[in-house]
Amino acid sequence: MLEKILTDQFRKKLKLLFTDIQNQQDRRDEEEFAKDEQRIKTQLLSTVDPYPPDVLLDEDFLVAAIDGSGTDNLMLLDDVRVHLFSTASILVNTNTQAEQVFEPIRTELIEEELGEQPHLETHWHSGVRYDASKKLAETLAEVYPVKDIANLVLPFFKDHSGGSISAYSDFTGTEYERRVPSLKDISSLISRERILTNPIVHEEIRKVSEYAAAHNILTSKFMPKYVMLDGAMSVFMHHVFKYPSMPSGFMLRELASLARKENVILCAVSKNHTIPFAHKIAKMARDVFGEGAKWFCHLPCSSDPGGGLHIYEDRTYIPPRLAVPYLFSFSRDNRPSRIDFDRIWWLETIFVKDDPVATRNNEKALFRELEFMSRDARWYGYPVALALAHEQCKLSYEDLRLAREICRDVRIEMKLDSVKTEPYRADYNL
Amino acid sequence: MRIDKDTLGELYGRVGVGNQTMLGIMGNNRDVSVGEIFMIYSQRDGHERVFFFRVLGLENYLRQVDDMARVAGTLMVEGDAYLSGIERNMLLSVDGKMLGYAEKIKDEWKFRSPRRLPDHLAHVYRPIAGTSDEVVQEMLGSQTDGEVYVGDLQIGEGTLDVPIMMPSKYLAMHVGIFGSTGAGKSNLMMVLIKSLIDTNLEAVTNPQEDLPKISAFCIDPHDEFAKGVDNYGIQNIIESMDQNTRSSLIGDFYYLTTHLSATQKEIRRYGRDIRILWNEIQPRDLYSIMEFSSEMYAFIEQVYSIHHENWIDTIITMNEEEDDIGTTKGTLRAVKRRLKFVERSPIFIKSGQSVLGDIYRAMESGRVLVVNTSLMSDMEQFLLTTIVTRTLSDLRRALKSSGNLSDFERQAQSRLPNSFFSSIKKSARSFYGVGGVADDSPVRDPRYLPVIQITVEEAPSILNPRLMRGQSVFKDISRQGRKFNIGLLVVSQQVSVLDNVILSQMNTEINLRLGNEREIKACIENASVNITGFENEFRVMSRGEALLTASYRELPLPVKIPLFDDVFERDMDRYKGKSSKKKVKHEL
Ligand SMILES: Nc1ncnc2c1ncn2[C@@H]1O[C@H](COP(=O)(O)OP(=O)(O)O)[C@@H](O)[C@H]1O
Ligand SMILES: [Mg+2]
Repeated sequence: MLEKILTDQFRKKLKLLFTDIQNQQDRRDEEEFAKDEQRIKTQLLSTVDPYPPDVLLDEDFLVAAIDGSGTDNLMLLDDVRVHLFSTASILVNTNTQAEQVFEPIRTELIEEELGEQPHLETHWHSGVRYDASKKLAETLAEVYPVKDIANLVLPFFKDHSGGSISAYSDFTGTEYERRVPSLKDISSLISRERILTNPIVHEEIRKVSEYAAAHNILTSKFMPKYVMLDGAMSVFMHHVFKYPSMPSGFMLRELASLARKENVILCAVSKNHTIPFAHKIAKMARDVFGEGAKWFCHLPCSSDPGGGLHIYEDRTYIPPRLAVPYLFSFSRDNRPSRIDFDRIWWLETIFVKDDPVATRNNEKALFRELEFMSRDARWYGYPVALALAHEQCKLSYEDLRLAREICRDVRIEMKLDSVKTEPYRADYNL
Repeated sequence: MRIDKDTLGELYGRVGVGNQTMLGIMGNNRDVSVGEIFMIYSQRDGHERVFFFRVLGLENYLRQVDDMARVAGTLMVEGDAYLSGIERNMLLSVDGKMLGYAEKIKDEWKFRSPRRLPDHLAHVYRPIAGTSDEVVQEMLGSQTDGEVYVGDLQIGEGTLDVPIMMPSKYLAMHVGIFGSTGAGKSNLMMVLIKSLIDTNLEAVTNPQEDLPKISAFCIDPHDEFAKGVDNYGIQNIIESMDQNTRSSLIGDFYYLTTHLSATQKEIRRYGRDIRILWNEIQPRDLYSIMEFSSEMYAFIEQVYSIHHENWIDTIITMNEEEDDIGTTKGTLRAVKRRLKFVERSPIFIKSGQSVLGDIYRAMESGRVLVVNTSLMSDMEQFLLTTIVTRTLSDLRRALKSSGNLSDFERQAQSRLPNSFFSSIKKSARSFYGVGGVADDSPVRDPRYLPVIQITVEEAPSILNPRLMRGQSVFKDISRQGRKFNIGLLVVSQQVSVLDNVILSQMNTEINLRLGNEREIKACIENASVNITGFENEFRVMSRGEALLTASYRELPLPVKIPLFDDVFERDMDRYKGKSSKKKVKHEL
């Protein structure tokens, strides 16, 4: 293999590929971006006006963050795959009054209220037909604290319909009427049954575990001001049914409505995102605000004043359904990140109709706090609570190796067969 | 039987990486010091084991940071950066050595060399004084027991109430005490002397139990032991004894000195002048301490074969002009020169009252002698030690190769100067005869006589490879002493210069703080237990701290030697007999 990769031939092949991309993609986007440039520069971009390092907040507050990690291959027993999930909840206190900024709440206190940290969960299913979806539904029902199906699905419809659907009876006469029998339990919310691959199952459980952890924080005694999730607030919609194709979509909306009720700011941060031209926006920000400036940029959708941006006109997933994304950068050294907010909350709290200045001021106040919570020297520019949650939940290669060893140990202890648990290729030294 | 883990101490951290001998532990960033002992609890297949881990190196480690330099850079560049919860995120990466593990087998704790590893992520406990003492004492029983108290188990900067003892039977397999000036050798010697006295006291007060007695001939080159280094000395122990205890433990003297008349009055009461008659000195005593050419050697042997114990007097008074033995003037002069210090010495005397017999009787009775050599030349000190050692070993050797007392007498007679042996013959028979002193009385096995410890101070000048090339009584004792129950206690500031024969026969080492890297290295190489990797530890040792290694133990023991004053104050009432104790009560 290596000889081939090292040849000029291979380099030529790549050159052709990149030229192709350049010709087709970039040129067109370039044109699109040119159309947006002025609007971004003058209306959507803004600097963050940071707090001084020694700021004393009038009211110190708690920031909660949740992150999860796992493997869809803890162990392979013939056609059964064992998944492992790890979910961590972190709370930090701005604590400016005590001059211990962003002091983490002691793990013991968190565990007392929210259970073992990080929380470990397992899952398995076999290759038998419908087993994947059956077991997935069981695990999700087990993991997510809201058990009543109406309470689980209605928040989505309520947000989605702009409040016109708030009970099952409201479905009558709508396009959903026919679907109501399918909204009776978790398993019926899994509409992507036929494509339930291991990675998709894994992703779904992991997401729901994180939402469940967030839910538990919202109902705990902690009462944070922020609850931060890792990732985006994207909801995959079923094109025909016009509602989320997986239960996690409903759960996210349920979570968002609970957050609103509890007066908590729910947001999701992703380091790697798919916003086209993010680097261009970043360059523009540097040009306008100067090299080291901290900035954010609203990515509007079609129903916002001025409509959506041209650059993502054909990218239907941006902005996600019922979410408001922003790009931001709090550190000169890093590429911009993305943060999503619940759109309903945003409309209620940040957006001021017909008053772009008031809206901007609300945004600035929000990002000022976000920036303040992103100054830990270890992860400068990234919210410290999320970084800590990530550190706590992550399964390293070594952790996994050990977990697998323990699996084997337990099986031997249980006098189950001592089946090999290494990857199959190990049998042939591959 | 489950160990109550709470008694092990406070939970400190978890085992990270490791192999059989070195381990890495991650723990809270508390005040940990090099030398601390951690215990690692491990349970596998129904076996409970407690591993002992010694901290050898520490490194601060910020959790979630693999590039400290980058974080430091960010803190510099971004003036508003902070580190959240840094105290709790600070971990200590602890490097150290697995010392071994304790395992309970049939209700008995066994200690084993580190042949296995604790489980990954096993809990690491840090012992706490007042909590962990009992369980540690129990687990380390096999590693710490014996009759002679040395100090207490050190855990970092503190100690546990786990006394570290040396078994008396191993004293005859030689002990080394190594430490630079000020490391605490003299204090340790005093603590040991006290322990010997305590052991003998135990034996005397419980005669039915057949407990071992230990004798010691303790060279005191600075005349510190009797009066002490700080406030108290051995004299205070002697004075705190009631009449009965004192006479059974020290007889009527414990202090030997060159000039008794110049000694402080209180000490003088228990003192004796050191005097050795020329005729108690043998040619091999001199061979032990200085070099002779083959001519000189031949000449001395010849004189000795004719004049026997009067050989010194004969040579000293020999007229160089009328050479009746047929040696050259040069040789005679050279030998005379070498004998000059004997001739001039106030302690080696031609005629008068010798103390050698008293020393012998003391050593066979389980007594401790403090020998002030501060006013002696090195040569005098070495010769004295040599004569005493050789005399004691000749007698025990004779005993060892005899079946009954008449055998013994014949054997001893052939080895020892006539007049000396006559002077102690009666005592020797009473020490050695079983059930009487008749000629056909069987003799005792030296192993059941008191252990005799001979200290060799300033050891390098006498136990160096050059002198050891010849016939040395010390080489002899180091190889064979255990048969006769005579051991050497070698005290030295340096290990590197000592002769290998001596070092290789040594089975217990008390390693105090050392002066330099070379000595640290020599000490580690010489130790009877593998203590490679302990370099750092030696570098940070403070006075009175020691690492005790012994061939009969798996565990190198960190010991804190107490200040003599403290143990004396603690125990001073112990030396009063029961009757006198009562009296004190009445007075109160
Ligand atoms: N175990 C100990 N604990 C505390 N201090 C000690 C200890 N041993 C010795 N010292 C102190 O250190 C000093 C030197 O001790 P010393 O025994 O004379 O050392 P060395 O004989 O090795 O030169 C003395 O003042 C003594 O009080
Ligand atoms: Mg000294």
